[in-house]
Amino acid sequence: MEENPRGWIHGDETAKAMLSRILTERPFLFLPPLHRVPLRVGNVVEIAGPSPSAKSQILLHAAVNCILPEEWKGIRFGGLGRMVMYFDLDCRFDVLRLSQILKHRIMEAYRSTNNTYWKEKGEHQKNDAPTTHMYLCDDELFLDCMRRFLYIRCYNSFEFLAALKAMHSHSQRESEALGVSVHFLMIDSIGAFYWMDRACQPMPIGGSKRKNVSLQSLAEAVVQEICKLLQMQPVLVLATKATIFGAGTSGNDAQRLAHDVNLPILRSTSSTRAFGKWCSEGKMDSRTSSREGEKLMYREYMPSSWQSFVTHRVHLQALGL
Amino acid sequence: MAESNEPQAKATASVSSSGNPTSSLSRVSKCPETLEEGKRSFSDDAGFARVQPMIEDWHQPWLNGVELLEDSNHNKHFLPTGYEGIDVLLGGGLCEGQLTEMVGPSSSGKTQVCLYSAALVADKHFGVVMFVDTCNSFSPKRIACIVDQLSSSFSGEAKERRLKRVMSNIFCHSVFDIFALLDVLHQLEFKLKQQVKSGDTKICLLIIDSISSLLTPVLGGKGSEGRLLMVSAGIILKKLANEYNISVLVTNHMVGGEGGILKPALGESWKSIPHVRLQLTRDQGSNICNVSILKHTFMATGRTAKFVIHSRSCSVQDGRGR
Repeated sequence: MEENPRGWIHGDETAKAMLSRILTERPFLFLPPLHRVPLRVGNVVEIAGPSPSAKSQILLHAAVNCILPEEWKGIRFGGLGRMVMYFDLDCRFDVLRLSQILKHRIMEAYRSTNNTYWKEKGEHQKNDAPTTHMYLCDDELFLDCMRRFLYIRCYNSFEFLAALKAMHSHSQRESEALGVSVHFLMIDSIGAFYWMDRACQPMPIGGSKRKNVSLQSLAEAVVQEICKLLQMQPVLVLATKATIFGAGTSGNDAQRLAHDVNLPILRSTSSTRAFGKWCSEGKMDSRTSSREGEKLMYREYMPSSWQSFVTHRVHLQALGL
Repeated sequence: MAESNEPQAKATASVSSSGNPTSSLSRVSKCPETLEEGKRSFSDDAGFARVQPMIEDWHQPWLNGVELLEDSNHNKHFLPTGYEGIDVLLGGGLCEGQLTEMVGPSSSGKTQVCLYSAALVADKHFGVVMFVDTCNSFSPKRIACIVDQLSSSFSGEAKERRLKRVMSNIFCHSVFDIFALLDVLHQLEFKLKQQVKSGDTKICLLIIDSISSLLTPVLGGKGSEGRLLMVSAGIILKKLANEYNISVLVTNHMVGGEGGILKPALGESWKSIPHVRLQLTRDQGSNICNVSILKHTFMATGRTAKFVIHSRSCSVQDGRGR
């Protein structure tokens, strides 16, 4: 140990150096449609909403954004090129939807580069040869991206906990195989086992060394496992939550339009931005003002250990027709 | 390595929130095999490496996107319902591995769709159909009618044999409360775990006509037991669908909501359980039904289609069929 008292007084680095280091190591992420909320690795985002709102869609779009590479064979995709870990507690994930979104993004990127290419050349027709070449590249890129999507299904809280415990070693193995690290941890429907856990009777099993199994202790265990994971491997945690108590608003049961989602942010602890409401389409006019009077009557049902763990909470509400 | 450790270690490695493996470590070191290696000091990593194979037994296997796609392409086929409107709307029919819910007011055609798809699936050798009947809606005569329509070009003998084969591929259970349903589902899961049948003797379609009539009596007020039973049933159904490549079809009825508009029964908690929700309506006196998508995993909601239910007019002798 160094006997250098002066070294203790002079800090390790200045605040400016630390800020620039952190901003490069953990840059802000802007995930559409939450692109006005700067998120960093280490944040825990809870996306809550009634059933027919676009919660799982947001997760899938964020996942596609993550698994696409930054650039591939000269075409810019603008993705992160990292792995996504998806815990499917609801068991409603459909891989066809993910592949649909991924293919759509790839096609869009190809089309836009094709357009700019032909614009530069000054020609207006689209030649077939480069596009077929692109379709051949598609499969390779597509499979490459799909390999970065890690998935596990859980049918009860114990399986979920076991999977969380085993996640770090599994992600290490995959990182070594693919060369990239996990960036997102997605949990579809953190409240999926709420009713089952609530019914767990807190009975003491053989002595006082073991903790009782109850809703609170299971939630604490989950939070603790995710905390340990965040320490060893910083990831951005996105969790959806279905709001199951609520009188709701009249727009709930009506059909929803896929692009028209109202996103008020109710609470954001680390963001300096004041919370407010906005529409993802930018229509900040009469629609939002007419809904000012309606209160969103959804009760929070997750235990307090989870509630205090969440750093950002996003509430979705479907705008009816 | 793990075999002799298993009985003791399973009892000790708990899911307590302390989470560190040192508690299980001390028990593991008492096993004779590890005493020989006991000279070496157990670090956390080595301990966890020993416990890890056991933990892997406790959760489902890890998959990645490519494996999911392969599974979806090879194992999860579409089962036609027989009504072209619905099949085209759903992109092929009922998807194996998914829980499809049909919602509609009474006499909107839900049971007819169930019976028709049961008959069609049994007829076309897709596999065995299990029909869980909660409101005495299963009608062998109607199945016989449908098979008669399908095999209109056959002679009498061949028709008999075909009908017998179809009937022997449909298993009908009557249940009248939710506990009996959970019992039936658990037994089915147990049976499927034991057997490794493949081909057309494996169950591929599970129909529960009117799961809402089992759940509405227990759901009520603010008690949580009803929702617990509903969510448990949903999880078992989805597990059966995913693991054993079964398509599950359930029906639900409608209740009055705000402003007198009908809405599906079973409340908010049920909304996040099915993969696909379809709403059926039928105009008075006509046999044209409308079906619209309320929720689908990859299609836009709001898409609609029409299909026609043919009235029962067929010549099937009484006393036949089961």
